[in-house]
Amino acid sequence: MTERQMISLTVNGQVHEVAVEPRRLLSDVLRDDLGLTGTHVGCEHGVCGACTILIDDQPARSCLTYAVQMEGHEVTTIEAIGRDGLSPFQQAMHEEHGLQCGFCTPGIIMTFEAYLRDNPNPDEAEIRDVLSGNLCRCTGYQPIVAAVLKAAARQREERQ
Amino acid sequence: MKPAPFHYHRPSTIEEAIGILARHGSDAKPIAGGQSLGPMLNMRLARPAHVVDLNDLVELDYVRGAADWIEIGAMTRHHRVATAPEIARDFPLLAAAAATIGHYPIRQRGTLGGSLVHADPAAQLPLIAVLTNAVVLVRGPNGPREIAAAEFFQSVMTVSLASDELVTAVRFPRPPVATGWGFELFSRRRGDFAMVAVAAMLAPVGSSGVEALIALGGIGPKPLRLAPIAERLDAGSTSWAGRIASQMAALEIEDDKFIPAAFRRELASSLTEQALLAAAARMQRAHT
Amino acid sequence: MSQAGPFHYIGKPLLRKEDRRLLTGHGRYVDDIVVPGALHACFVRSPHAHARIINIDTAAAREMPGVVAIVTGRDMEQWTTKLRLAPPIEGLEPVEFTALPIDKVRFHGDPVACVVAADRYAAEDAMERIEVEYEVLPAIATLEAALAPDAVKVDDDLSSNLVSHQTFSGGDPAGRARDAHRIVEASFYLHRHTHVPMETRGCAAIWDEGREHLTMLTGNQAPHPLRSQLASRLKLSESQITVNTADVGGAFGQKITLYREELTVAALARELKRPVRWREDRSENLMAASHARENLCKTRAAVDKNGRILSLELELVEDFGGYCFYPANYMSRVVAMILTGPYKIADYAFDVKIALTNKCGNGPMRAPMAITSWVMDGTIEAVARELGLDSVAVRRANLLQPDDLPYRMATGELLEDVTPAETLEMVVDAIGYDDFRARQAEARQQGKYLGLGLCVVIESTTYGSGFYKAAGIPGSGHEAAWVRIEPSGAVNAAVGLGATGQGYETSLAHAVAEGLGVDPTQVRLHIGNTDIAPYGMGSRGGRGGTAGGGALYLCAQKARAQVLAIAAHRLGMNSGAELRMLDGRVQRLIGNDWGDAGLSLVDIARQAYLDPTSLPDGIDPGLDFSLTFDPPPMTYSNSTHACEIEIDVKTGALQILRYVVAEDCGTVLNPHVVRGQQQGAVAMGLSGSLLEQVVYDANGQNLTATFADYLVATACEVPEIEILHNNTPNRRTPGGMKGMAEGGVMGSIGAISNAVNDALAPFGVVADRQPLSPQYLHGLLRSARTSS
Repeated sequence: MTERQMISLTVNGQVHEVAVEPRRLLSDVLRDDLGLTGTHVGCEHGVCGACTILIDDQPARSCLTYAVQMEGHEVTTIEAIGRDGLSPFQQAMHEEHGLQCGFCTPGIIMTFEAYLRDNPNPDEAEIRDVLSGNLCRCTGYQPIVAAVLKAAARQREERQ
Repeated sequence: MKPAPFHYHRPSTIEEAIGILARHGSDAKPIAGGQSLGPMLNMRLARPAHVVDLNDLVELDYVRGAADWIEIGAMTRHHRVATAPEIARDFPLLAAAAATIGHYPIRQRGTLGGSLVHADPAAQLPLIAVLTNAVVLVRGPNGPREIAAAEFFQSVMTVSLASDELVTAVRFPRPPVATGWGFELFSRRRGDFAMVAVAAMLAPVGSSGVEALIALGGIGPKPLRLAPIAERLDAGSTSWAGRIASQMAALEIEDDKFIPAAFRRELASSLTEQALLAAAARMQRAHT
Repeated sequence: MSQAGPFHYIGKPLLRKEDRRLLTGHGRYVDDIVVPGALHACFVRSPHAHARIINIDTAAAREMPGVVAIVTGRDMEQWTTKLRLAPPIEGLEPVEFTALPIDKVRFHGDPVACVVAADRYAAEDAMERIEVEYEVLPAIATLEAALAPDAVKVDDDLSSNLVSHQTFSGGDPAGRARDAHRIVEASFYLHRHTHVPMETRGCAAIWDEGREHLTMLTGNQAPHPLRSQLASRLKLSESQITVNTADVGGAFGQKITLYREELTVAALARELKRPVRWREDRSENLMAASHARENLCKTRAAVDKNGRILSLELELVEDFGGYCFYPANYMSRVVAMILTGPYKIADYAFDVKIALTNKCGNGPMRAPMAITSWVMDGTIEAVARELGLDSVAVRRANLLQPDDLPYRMATGELLEDVTPAETLEMVVDAIGYDDFRARQAEARQQGKYLGLGLCVVIESTTYGSGFYKAAGIPGSGHEAAWVRIEPSGAVNAAVGLGATGQGYETSLAHAVAEGLGVDPTQVRLHIGNTDIAPYGMGSRGGRGGTAGGGALYLCAQKARAQVLAIAAHRLGMNSGAELRMLDGRVQRLIGNDWGDAGLSLVDIARQAYLDPTSLPDGIDPGLDFSLTFDPPPMTYSNSTHACEIEIDVKTGALQILRYVVAEDCGTVLNPHVVRGQQQGAVAMGLSGSLLEQVVYDANGQNLTATFADYLVATACEVPEIEILHNNTPNRRTPGGMKGMAEGGVMGSIGAISNAVNDALAPFGVVADRQPLSPQYLHGLLRSARTSS
């Protein structure tokens, strides 16, 4: 074990002071120290994408990030999405039956909240390429792709 | 799957980073995007006593063009390499290769420097560096030095970098005007490391000649560049094929736990052909 | 029994009730539940496939910071009983093993010690200090090695590695073969898979010393049977244990049995008198949770010159791994029982051998009988190939037609209310089979190799008690439910299933709604807590909709009958026969029209609880109903899959161009949920056929214990899956439900291989193994080149 050190973490706009060992994964700190259990851990080697969160508004694996690294950065988790009603993508996932067991879902939501913000008009091939970073064992992906297309169309309408 | 304990350092300057590395020698390991080192730490396959976080070195996140080269800072993320307008315009092969690295969230974190130092034999950016004879810019306690890509990559996950040195940037020679390019990556799934990857450039030489540069990843302990092939522009495909085949036949390819050498060899030939065809088509488009 | 509509609520496209919490990060998977003071368990695993345990030295590890306890098989032996599996099944050897191995390890990843520490980090630090001395034994890493005459034994208590051997013969296969035009032989090897739920296994055990009660938080498909196993292994009563499964991140068959790790954690919580939790990491899950499949099938079909199959013989050998958490014959026997499926084959024999090897133990994985349809329809393809016939014509010549039903297979299995011929014609039409050959020929001219594969599936879904009885397995296929209407009129219901992502809270609400006469949004399901839900047999196979939905539907009908009897009494009528309930309002038949009777479920509920003396004679206070329901011995769904592919013969790359399924799964409770299961099952089948493979080397080392090596399909490898519906109700189940969710795996495994062989036909090679990796396909093409 190494010494714990006090760090200041900004998560979903809130500042938390926590004592952590430097080796402690951000995913563990979010879940166990801050109680933000919406971020799921599926592999701890960066492949499955279940633990995807936003670092400074861009998607990243919280299992490949050590919490100490996040001082001075903004972390956003699934708990910040849909607090005041489902986001367009969450709503589309609901309508298209884009989730079954729901374990991979928060990582997918986080990836596409960021992606759709920067890419308002993606085609199916682009969506599948981005979605390839999140493993889903239940759905076969097709309804998730449909949900992204639907959310993108709705967001474009709203912006007009 | 939790890392062994380590001490954490977060230098704010390159000099400070080098100082920490110099102090701890091989006990220290720099972390950039963490997309390759993170899994190794978590699985305890890497267990440095000191982890030196380079993410505050924002001065190493840049794309800078000059007459003869494009220089990219070591902390530039793959996503930026894949999407920066100047790279897309002047070195589309590099942008295309970077766009295939891992997945979208991985590309937001992973860095050029990290990929080069990790030196996976199947990785995209080392392949492009070797293809183009890029220069790796390195800094250590004794100041900067430059290493040609061909010397930088030594073997599987081994580079010629002292434990107190940092890669600061890579200088890619600017491809000649009207260069055609092709990039073919073959993997079982989207985002996986290549079974074989091939990058090719076809550059016009004079009015009737053409030079082909071809590099292959995933077939040996490090990216391999074939000897440049100069041909007449109107040379038939059999002439090309013969000259490539003789070089391919000389490559040493071994069986690995999942892929027979015979398959990898034929895959390399087939991807090379596809990459050259794509390069030829692009070169032709650039001409017309 | 069946009332197959018209329905008011069953089949309506209600969006899932589960979604809101899961979409906003408020699900409650085991690890999300805070257990104050919980310690973390972590298992030391064998680096060897087969070795004697000479000594385990934990002294240095005990001194590590945060370590609370370290236990081995010897410690566990004092606190737990052995698992003995000895069902009276002919040909099956009894097996017995301890909570943790004591004398020897049987596979790479076998747990040999458990560290309990303040957190997982400290536990992993301590694990590195545990010294286990092994004497390495020869590893049995293949079926051939397992069944070799002088093979080293994986289980020293058995007489050989052949743990089960069963044979059957119906009719006169040998006689029919003698008269046949031709004998066609075919071979099929389905490789080793693992389930890969996105949430790995894990649990938290809380021992209440005062009440002497264990609470087990876990993710499980069958909470009550799990509780029974825990009680028996811990020498506790079932009333001393609560199993509680909240949200579960997928299971696919991996979360049914009581695992040794869970038992260890539960025992430790009791011994330490402190809560203990465990979450395996992904490598442990891939290496040591449960594996599946790896079977080799050979068929011999005796045929006439038109491709009519006169008799069929099957030889099946399964590599079961090192431990039997299930009766070893369990999965493969089903393959053999239903092999002939949609085809009229009266003369049939099988020989099924199950061998132990030094690998992780096998268990049922979504479609335990996954290989069945590939073997059968692959045999059809082989017949067509050898006789130079069109394979659709061969299917048509052998398929059961509507007039043939009900049909009793040679094995005694009864098929009725299935539509294989209809679904075949639907996909043949949808995929443009008749035009395909011309397109294929044209593409070949341009060096493009297209292939089209079909696969007709008969999917066994709901196993009633009659099936278990016939198979000699002690156990039941019944399900249990309760429905309670509370004083406010709120409707609660429970069933003994375990939800792992199927959307039961929604789909089963349709069943209750239909039975009772309220909107499904008004029904709340309570699933997964053994103190709340009734003792049911859990979720496995495709039984949730039929057994669980059926029990709830019947129970809700019972509730409705009482509600309407009370209503009739209030309305001054003799009986409820001319009343019904819709959307929670009582309606009365006046002439030919239903009109509101001025009473609601709320009114009746208030009366039942607050004014029970006014209830009619013979009606007890409250509105509290329960029942158990035993489905028919077996229900079957059916489907036909069609898949068009292209193979790049230079690289071996396979691309799926189109995928169509026509399916008959009986009455659909919720169309969203059913479509999700259909697409998900096909995706899982294709992922397995193309990418996934557990690989052991010759020494029994597992080479695929990370997600970089065990390849699960991403969104870029799974095609769009088109679904055509041909649902016909089952006459023997409540509501006409049939069950579904596994046929997609069966059909896709077969369709993709058949498509590959269609594409490769010009080269004269046959892919008889999976996965259909580029290196495998390219190897076949290389062999074709060298032999020509």
